[in-house]
Amino acid sequence: MKTSGKSGQNRRQVLKLGGGLVAAAGIGPLIVTERTIAQTRTIYVNTWGGSWTAAEEAAFFKPFTEATGIRVRTVAPVSYAKLKAQVQTGSYEWDITAINQAEWLRAEREGLVEPIDWTVVKKDALFPNAVFANGIAYCALGTNLVYRKDKFPNGGPKSWADFWDVKKFPGTRSLYNNSLRTVIFALLADGVPKDKLYPLDVDRALRKLTEIKPHIKVWWTQGNQSQQLIRDGEVDMMAMWNARASELAGQGVPVELVWNGATVSTTMWGVAKGAPNRKAAWEFIQFAVQAKPQADFSNRLYYGPTNPEAFKHIKPEVAKQLPTYEENYKQIAPSNIEWEAANLASIQERFSQWLAS
Amino acid sequence: MAGVVTAAPATATGPAAIPQGPGAGSVPWLLLMPATAALVLLFVLPIGYVLLLSFTDPQVSLAHYQRIFAVPLYTRILFNTFATSLTVTVICLLLAYPLAYVISRRNDWISLVLLICVAVCFWTGFIVRTYAWLVILGNKGPVAAVWQGLGLGAPPQLLFTSFASTLGMTHILLPYMVLALYSVMKKIDPNLLRAAASLGARPNAAFRAVFLPLSLPGVVNGSILVFTICLGFFVTPILLGTPKDMMISQLVNQQIEELLAWGFASAIAVVLLIATSIVLAIYNRFVGLDRLWG
Amino acid sequence: MVMALAILVAIFLISPILIIIPMSFSTAISFQFPPPGYSLGYYQAYFTSYDWLQPTANSFVIAILSMAVTMLLVVPASFGYVRHRFRGKSFFNLLMMSPLIVPHVVAALAYYGYFSMARLNGTLPGVILAHGVLAVPIAFLVVCATIKGFDRNLERAAMSAGAGPLRTFFYVTLPVLRPGMMVGALFSFLASFNEAVVAIFISGRDAATLPKKMYESIRLESDPIIAVVSSLLIGAVLIGVVTSVVFRRKPKNVP
Repeated sequence: MKTSGKSGQNRRQVLKLGGGLVAAAGIGPLIVTERTIAQTRTIYVNTWGGSWTAAEEAAFFKPFTEATGIRVRTVAPVSYAKLKAQVQTGSYEWDITAINQAEWLRAEREGLVEPIDWTVVKKDALFPNAVFANGIAYCALGTNLVYRKDKFPNGGPKSWADFWDVKKFPGTRSLYNNSLRTVIFALLADGVPKDKLYPLDVDRALRKLTEIKPHIKVWWTQGNQSQQLIRDGEVDMMAMWNARASELAGQGVPVELVWNGATVSTTMWGVAKGAPNRKAAWEFIQFAVQAKPQADFSNRLYYGPTNPEAFKHIKPEVAKQLPTYEENYKQIAPSNIEWEAANLASIQERFSQWLAS
Repeated sequence: MAGVVTAAPATATGPAAIPQGPGAGSVPWLLLMPATAALVLLFVLPIGYVLLLSFTDPQVSLAHYQRIFAVPLYTRILFNTFATSLTVTVICLLLAYPLAYVISRRNDWISLVLLICVAVCFWTGFIVRTYAWLVILGNKGPVAAVWQGLGLGAPPQLLFTSFASTLGMTHILLPYMVLALYSVMKKIDPNLLRAAASLGARPNAAFRAVFLPLSLPGVVNGSILVFTICLGFFVTPILLGTPKDMMISQLVNQQIEELLAWGFASAIAVVLLIATSIVLAIYNRFVGLDRLWG
Repeated sequence: MVMALAILVAIFLISPILIIIPMSFSTAISFQFPPPGYSLGYYQAYFTSYDWLQPTANSFVIAILSMAVTMLLVVPASFGYVRHRFRGKSFFNLLMMSPLIVPHVVAALAYYGYFSMARLNGTLPGVILAHGVLAVPIAFLVVCATIKGFDRNLERAAMSAGAGPLRTFFYVTLPVLRPGMMVGALFSFLASFNEAVVAIFISGRDAATLPKKMYESIRLESDPIIAVVSSLLIGAVLIGVVTSVVFRRKPKNVP
């Protein structure tokens, strides 16, 4: 593939010029930024991105930086494999992560997280069940069936069985690319009672999932993506986090949340084993579990707080939309964290194989 | 990045320099050492490490390889990868041939503009071009808008399908094919065609008898190039494609990103490496590897 | 007929790229075309966002330094390779070409595992070394071709005029070869600057490059800043390609 100078000259010039221009425009201002950042102490937090990060930014990070001078920077998305990879490879992208309860338990067993330093973090103010296996919970998060009201003027789906019923409720669907919740939803759709779910019958769930698979347009992975799908009308119904759906409703998107058969999982603060900034991480966690920041968070993103004092600062109309609100909570499918933690890895693997097949 | 090389200004048509001077005949250690050491330490050893992991993680066994060839899902992914790569190669060839032909045969502003199109496309990164397709095929993109504008109802799902990833890869690899063909076609002496014409051959016949055979080396080069890049294509299938029709690189990514299964991911990578090597070895046997990028 | 086909294919090549530019002036939050309105908002967002500027700076630093690594390895090796006959020459060539043979996803996995032992993941030196090695084949091909095309009589003339081998090298050989070397360097710069797969695996947080950042934000959220970055990159390429055409034309018109 040798050519004579003609095109060569030509492309050579191209490169020189393009490179020089961009270099001149790009590098100058950046070095300053880098230096100013390096002067302050910084912790890195792994979050879900999008409105989750925005709410945390306002409720936790900004006030924390104002109070302590410690900067908080965020990395998304949350990933268990990344936590494991960090500890294995010693290259840390973040110090603190949001992690759900079952994964926390698994991580603790695999030696991937630091036990909380109780000399810094005060647990007395929290709900007793917020302190769990050397970790600390900071919010309760629902995963619900959500649908667009405008697509179902005569009443939308009311249960996972309805979600599976493509004749009665035609329309495009999306599910969360999360093995555990999807398996639970499938079992509920197949008629397993809420209180008899465990141990989860994965074979049965996958058989049920195979029925709906052709109708699932997207298996979403990120919270923002789920919002975009239903906001833009790409799908008519989907499994989605409660606060993300409430947020859309607040923006005027005609969505309805179904609490019947929703799952509620607790999100915890986890500090990666050996994380370089773990001292500052404890300070941050102690700050973030206080009533005021928790309430601020719940007021922005409708997930339930773990500090009872927080309810004093939560608006009543918001309280009704939290997963922990009694009317909602009694309709959900309760989970068995111990069982989930022990079986998560194998369920995940089988699920991803099923998804790819 | 063969196309890159196309642009090298040096003609180097003459024979390789005749060795001479005191260094001739002996190994010029000092000159070769840094590169050799760097490539061994920073390339061969890391690849070797993958090979090692594929047999030893988590314990010494051949289990990962057995699994690849025993589980239907994985054999299907292998097959799918080859089929997709072949499709992309053929489409690229069909699209690139007329374009390269025009660019190499004409010497006017049209060929210049066409060449600019190819060059701009070539130098724009994979991610940028993948993003472009994300926008175009998305359900708020121009395709959907036209579809609805024509009153055809809800637009079909284009994004996150194997169609989208095949289209994206074709678009991204097309410039490689064009440049591979162009560099060969450019060297075909126009006098040959004129000679054929003067002997009474009609344009079509002259093309078939003279130009086409002479351009075949470019066809082979471009195809091998596109095919091998496609086998291990990473970004585009992940961003545009679907986990339902995975390619090998998506599987590697999934095993690492979601499951952190080093051993299995390594074994898949080794299979991919071997597949690529076989294709290139066949090419080397019949053409010579040097020609591919040179 | 052939002409029409060729033009259609060229349109197929270029139009997706051009569509991004209006997107970057959009006011929409998600990927929407045609944009509902126009503003410079996302340009401002890009130029004030640490999350985007840091990878941009990283990309330049990594590309420049890995170009230096590549050239330091390739220039001596090319002289040795072109000007000497030695045993294992074809093997050496294969070694130098090996990064082109190995699919990038395989190399990425390899570096991810290998560098974790050396604690090089997520560091600038790690990415620089990896990119430096990966660009070796391209630079090697270009530089070798340049050296092969060099007329050695120039050197002989200099030597016979009394210049020593070093003087000859620096005053005769190098200046003649410089354009070719520059092309090699430029290609290795761009190889690093555009490289995504290895960067996605190993560059981590602090050494994240622009392609990695773009990849992640596409996967994560429909961040419209991607359109801005893409437009800037496309703009640079467009300006470069078109100017080069003008430059190339000149000597022809003014013989």
